[in-house]
Amino acid sequence: MSSTEQGTSSAAPAEPTTAPESAAAPEVPESFYYVHGKDKVVHKVSAGALQHSALIHGMISNLGYTEEQAKANPFPFENIDGDILQMVVDWCNQHKGKPTPPEDTNLPKQKEKLFDLVLAVNYLEIKELLTYCCKQVAMMVKGKSPEEIREIWMIPTDAEDEAAEKEAKKRAGKEAAGETAAAAGDAK
Amino acid sequence: MPIRILSLPVADLQYALNCMDTWDLVAFSLCSKRTKNLVKFTVRKIKKIEANVYDCRICLTVQAFQTIQNFVFIGIHDSCITLDFGKGTELWRKQGFTQRNWIPHFLDIFHESKIHSLVIMNVRLWDMDTVKQCIPKCQTLRIRENCYIKFENIEFLQLCSIAENAEIEKNIFTNENHISKFLNLNLRSVHLSDWDNPFKLELNDLLTANSINITIQTANIRENELNRYLKLWMKGNNIFNRPSYMKLSLIHEIDRDEVLRGIKYQIVDNECSLNRADGKKLSISIQRNSVDFEFQ
Repeated sequence: MSSTEQGTSSAAPAEPTTAPESAAAPEVPESFYYVHGKDKVVHKVSAGALQHSALIHGMISNLGYTEEQAKANPFPFENIDGDILQMVVDWCNQHKGKPTPPEDTNLPKQKEKLFDLVLAVNYLEIKELLTYCCKQVAMMVKGKSPEEIREIWMIPTDAEDEAAEKEAKKRAGKEAAGETAAAAGDAK
Repeated sequence: MPIRILSLPVADLQYALNCMDTWDLVAFSLCSKRTKNLVKFTVRKIKKIEANVYDCRICLTVQAFQTIQNFVFIGIHDSCITLDFGKGTELWRKQGFTQRNWIPHFLDIFHESKIHSLVIMNVRLWDMDTVKQCIPKCQTLRIRENCYIKFENIEFLQLCSIAENAEIEKNIFTNENHISKFLNLNLRSVHLSDWDNPFKLELNDLLTANSINITIQTANIRENELNRYLKLWMKGNNIFNRPSYMKLSLIHEIDRDEVLRGIKYQIVDNECSLNRADGKKLSISIQRNSVDFEFQ
């Protein structure tokens, strides 16, 4: 039941097209809300599907939007790529009002997007999807050697970690010195 | 398709690690100090680690929880280990590691302070000091009957010092390397077993024994030594007697009356009960070829 449309702008979102509802339509009309990601594409999502996201559910409850207001003001998630948000919306729609199974076969298969998906899902606070994503991340290194794991997960060596730590300390020291100098300048 | 796992939010990272198989976690822990610490935070437990020492090599048998593979056999070399998961062998390498770093690493990530058992197999030339450096502590030390090494005092006692219990399947004691030095190592239990070459025991060995549970099969001791031991115990000469149970399977048949000659005792449940003036009790069961002491 999800729908998406290439939005024109976040301020004035175009009318989203709605995908045909399933044959067994609910008796009570369902309320819909709108979200968009970095690409400004607006996604129409039912309140039931959005219940998966603790963040959006909280926003809806706090704002008390009417459907018209919701249409005029889609929730902006500028830190989430459009295709990632699409995956999230699809998952929420597929699992709307259903108990989530222990193993999710509908999980997105695009591994290259997995990292961004975990970050998005973590931000949107969708606990069940996060669980599946983390499992998927863990599966990436199943049966792999330390060298292979280091490559797959881009793990720095101890020497690289130490160098990065030194660099961070150096930067922090410079910043602190800069702030002290600025404060001294202000005082003069 | 790389993914920067260490950039994930901590909770997500920990959840992903919790989903991992134990052996994938071990591999992850070997990537860097940071990954090792992350693995420690998962608080994954291990069922059992057993180390078998052969000539110039140590092999581990590791039994883990939450893993498809029940047992994994690990051969420890210098900076690498070979792992046998039952479907071929894998080689894992860790730069900067030597033979002595591997077992402490496994113990550390699984929050264990000691391995479950250290088994000395058919060793001829192995330097026991190296074993001690590789294995910080063990629950049970087993010396197998096919072990060829002649244990010199210092080496042997050093090895026993890392154990809580000791099981020796071969009479490795000599006049120089006397059994009393082994019986007074303050262990939780000692089990000596050699049917072909009995362990020679004297009164002094029993008097100085300070391990809690002692089983010796077979022991070579005379009735009069046992009788003197019981008389000294009755006099309370060894007040700080630590053993709570001692079983001696004897090489020859013994005369019960000779063992109990001149000692006051009561028969309780077919056992002789000896009561000392300070209230301590000793139940002694004497069979044809064995004597059991139970100190209360």
